[in-house]
Amino acid sequence: MQLKGNRNSGGRWRKLRIFNQLYNFLSSVRLTIVLFVLILISCVTGTALLPVPVARLFIFSSIWFNVLLVFLISNVAFCFFPKIWRRKIDLIFAGMIIFHLSFILLFIGIVYDSMFYFRGTIRLTEGETLNLADSRSYDHIEQGRFFERERNLKMWIVLHKLVTGHKVNGKNMGVANEISVGGREEVKRDFIYVINHLEYKGFKFYRARDGFSPLIVLRDRNGNVLYGAYSPLQSIREENKKYLYVIGTAEAPGYIPFPQDSILQQLFYLQAKYYPSPKNSRIGEVFFDVREIVSDDPEDGKELFSGSAALRERVSVGDYFLSMEEVRYWASIDIRHNPGLPLIFTSLWIGFGGIILTTVARLIKRK
Amino acid sequence: MNSEMVFFWTAVAFYGLSAFSYIFGLISMKEKLFSAGLILSFLGLAGNVTAVAFRWIKGGVLPFSDISESITSGVLIAIAIFLIVQASSKRLRAIGALVMPVAFVLIGWAGTLMKEVSGQIAPSLQSYWLWFHIVGASTGFGAVLVAAGTGLVFLLKERYKTGIYEKLPDPDSLDNLNYRFVAGGFIMFGLMLISGALWSNQVHGKYWNWDPVESWSLVCWLIYGMFLHLRITMGWRGRSLAWYSMVAVLVMITSYWGIPFVVQNFHTGFRIEH
Repeated sequence: MQLKGNRNSGGRWRKLRIFNQLYNFLSSVRLTIVLFVLILISCVTGTALLPVPVARLFIFSSIWFNVLLVFLISNVAFCFFPKIWRRKIDLIFAGMIIFHLSFILLFIGIVYDSMFYFRGTIRLTEGETLNLADSRSYDHIEQGRFFERERNLKMWIVLHKLVTGHKVNGKNMGVANEISVGGREEVKRDFIYVINHLEYKGFKFYRARDGFSPLIVLRDRNGNVLYGAYSPLQSIREENKKYLYVIGTAEAPGYIPFPQDSILQQLFYLQAKYYPSPKNSRIGEVFFDVREIVSDDPEDGKELFSGSAALRERVSVGDYFLSMEEVRYWASIDIRHNPGLPLIFTSLWIGFGGIILTTVARLIKRK
Repeated sequence: MNSEMVFFWTAVAFYGLSAFSYIFGLISMKEKLFSAGLILSFLGLAGNVTAVAFRWIKGGVLPFSDISESITSGVLIAIAIFLIVQASSKRLRAIGALVMPVAFVLIGWAGTLMKEVSGQIAPSLQSYWLWFHIVGASTGFGAVLVAAGTGLVFLLKERYKTGIYEKLPDPDSLDNLNYRFVAGGFIMFGLMLISGALWSNQVHGKYWNWDPVESWSLVCWLIYGMFLHLRITMGWRGRSLAWYSMVAVLVMITSYWGIPFVVQNFHTGFRIEH
């Protein structure tokens, strides 16, 4: 019995020793300095030496950097709270406690948010409706481990129209998207612009980017419509600082196989450029470059048509007619859900109140 | 040259002359040069305020939307804080030997970056949080610049005992003043960070983007937080903290205006690309 008891107490002491060591490690000022220097080096490297996207990927969004931040917050808590234990609480200390508690709250808010957040980017053409529960509606999705998209995002969105030079109380707010978001019970309709978003059931809708989306129509020789689709154009900034609106990638003009349909046979490679009129951006000139499909490289194919046309003017391409019937806008919209945000912002204000309280109390005490 | 630029460059000239007066006052130990420096800094501020007012009237919007306007308003607030300190105590004249040269260099640099006045404020800047953000940033900068000035005076007082140095406040008072201005700057930087986060959330739906200027501002805030911890928790006083406040203000200036000048980011010219 005695031996057993000794063994137990020995094990308990060992455990206590481990806890003691852990406590000493986490409450060490040296750890604060080491963490601070590491965070400083990371920030300097991430901001001065690396391009922003690379820094975000390899430093600011990395696990090791977030572990450093977690350690720093734990270190703050372990350094501070044991020191105030059983001390007389005056205004100075109250302020300091509030300030340091706000870090813990901030941390809880960030962790909670990271588990249930949702970020998505959708792209719609004017008049288009998208189901937000369907992952195929998104260009980009990020979400927390415990977020359930199918359950929480039972809603749809419509882009009614895009307005340039949207005015609010006489102030020019730039581009605005008029959208509706709805579910089974209610529908919300509003303009979203740079400082205004729409909120629906905890999800916020922000305006992101936009561009032209012309309706390109293919007809046979008798004028019967065979195919038509809105094709979003890229906005490429040229050397003269003007924008070129063209089919392609974000970096350069390119070609798409046309028609872009899995059922119909692809007839040729198409590149379309659009030159909007300075007075009305929805009316302008079109430039088609059409090539035969012989390989994966459109440049290998024979040129079938290359030239300009007015809007709705039909150009002859082999046995078909091609036209740009109308121009609409496309808009990309960021959808965000951050349930931890209220806690994060509350903690920031609480911390701010704490530093003001402690500073004012110190100044009064000195006087 | 239009009226705005005449006033602007007059302010730069006065700030420059004031800086030289303070520096030579310190070298030659002549107090009269400090007084001249003070008058010149006041004239410089008058020119600075007038230039900002002209730009404001011409553009119809408060001028803080590009980097040169941001520096100009930051310097304006810093000099205003400096003059309030000067008015409160004659014995603190010497802090101008650090404050005025920094102000002169910054505003001179702003002059080289000056662009035509923008007639319209970018939609993204039409937020009330921006006011808190700019007031926090400018006042915080002014406070820590004055703190660095008291740091310099502390070091001089410690080293030299005679002449004009005799009239300087005692080291304890300087050390205390240094701490108070850093504490004030820390609070204002806190306001800047919080309002910036709220503003970013309003515009982007993200409260923190690890944008280079954001990261550096956080680093600056942590640096001043360390200052307060070193003083309150670790009991640091005097020389070490005087040096600390002088180095920290350099990091702060780099973070405010050096980073947006070098790295393309959200704060570069405070543009929003959409």
